Amino acid sequence: MSGTQQTELALEVRELSRTFGARKALDKVSFELPRGAFLSIFGPNGAGKTTMLKVLSTLTPPSKGTALVTGLDVVKDAVELRERIGFISHNPLLYPDLTAEENLEFFADLYCIDDPKARVKELLTAVELNHRRLDAVRTFSRGMIQRLSIARSLLHKPDVIFLDEPYSGLDPHAMDILDSLIEQVRAEHTFVMISHDLQKGLELCSHALILAKGKIVLFDEREAIDPDAFAATYRATVGMGVS
Amino acid sequence: MAAKTQGLHISGMRQFKAILKKDIVMELRTKEMLTSMGLYALLVLLIYYVALSQAGSSFDVTNIAGGLLWLAIVFTSLLGLNRSLVHEKDQGCLDALLLAPVDRPVIFFGKAIGNLVFLLIVEVFVVPLFMLIFQAGKYANLSAVGWLALVLVAGSVGIAGVGTLLATMSVNTTGKDFVLAVLFIPIMFPLLLAVVAATWAILKASPDMAVYWKMLAVAGGYDAIMLLAAYALYEFVLGA
Repeated sequence: MSGTQQTELALEVRELSRTFGARKALDKVSFELPRGAFLSIFGPNGAGKTTMLKVLSTLTPPSKGTALVTGLDVVKDAVELRERIGFISHNPLLYPDLTAEENLEFFADLYCIDDPKARVKELLTAVELNHRRLDAVRTFSRGMIQRLSIARSLLHKPDVIFLDEPYSGLDPHAMDILDSLIEQVRAEHTFVMISHDLQKGLELCSHALILAKGKIVLFDEREAIDPDAFAATYRATVGMGVS
Repeated sequence: MAAKTQGLHISGMRQFKAILKKDIVMELRTKEMLTSMGLYALLVLLIYYVALSQAGSSFDVTNIAGGLLWLAIVFTSLLGLNRSLVHEKDQGCLDALLLAPVDRPVIFFGKAIGNLVFLLIVEVFVVPLFMLIFQAGKYANLSAVGWLALVLVAGSVGIAGVGTLLATMSVNTTGKDFVLAVLFIPIMFPLLLAVVAATWAILKASPDMAVYWKMLAVAGGYDAIMLLAAYALYEFVLGA
């Protein structure tokens, strides 16, 4: 697949497997996601959700199968693909001893963004942290750190944003701010989010996927999903154990 | 090292400078590595002082000064090398670095040069103190100081390069301090032999420049080979 080829699909996952020793974290997973979609991934602990996100974001290579993100192979085109993806985790991926501004300027340099100071200021304003730009991140609340983490992930205007339980540990006010931020940029990006919150995940998504023991139990468009039946399927997977 | 994709003009040099600057700014702010390395080196010197206090005035410390000095430097560097990667790992920042479109060798050189700078800063204070306390440089003239500085740089380059690679390998292991030490010292053995011999050759009453240059060449060769190996292996090590 050419590195610059444009495709209407944001994700094309074919027979994707990832093993750790004898344990199959992902077992022949296949699905497709159109550009601009919002995919919520559900599943019990150890189902392979984080492994899937790590493979799709080039952090972990697959053992077998292929995965294309915006038409780019996660192994062969990894460096180019990293320019097109953003990652927000419950882990902030920020340096606590640097200020908010220094953190964003550091990542702006890693992505070689033109006029990094202007872009950093624009994003700090967007996440309402401009007034704290000179404060060390270690002095920030959980909600503020998560907002800064979102700014970090948007610095290079990625096509696809991966979110690994982004609401974890947030108070209701911080959750509202995160909702608002996602809503503001939703039209311009494809989102792939891991969530344990069925209501929140279904509320945001255009597509939903349940993963258990490394396999897809259910994958469908949100419009085709009956929330009660979906919840029952999800609860059933919790008893399936880990992959 | 420039590529244009997604409207971004990727520059390895800009990324390298960013990683190095970030490490230096963080260290100047926290002084965590410099303080712990400096204090540890002072404690080692104190132990040497106690150990050698009974040797008597006839004992010429210059015969073993090279070994003592490099022992202190190696143990001190282990402390700093561990901290440099643990910083990244603790906050998940290593993942953030890996998610960015940065060639892995750029990360290696950024971290390794940072470690080299911190090690050299500690040496600037510790080496003169060592010479003063133990009178290890009593035969050395001004030019010997320059030759000694050259050995210190050659040894420190190897320590920082190999140490950064091994610290990256060990950062995901449970007993990372132990694992780093167990891997580091045997791999550093040829370099240690060379720099200890070169230091001895320059500090003795009649400097032996033939031995000095031979050992410095060995150290330089070791540095070149190990840096190339680290450059080639770093992507594999990060992905493992």
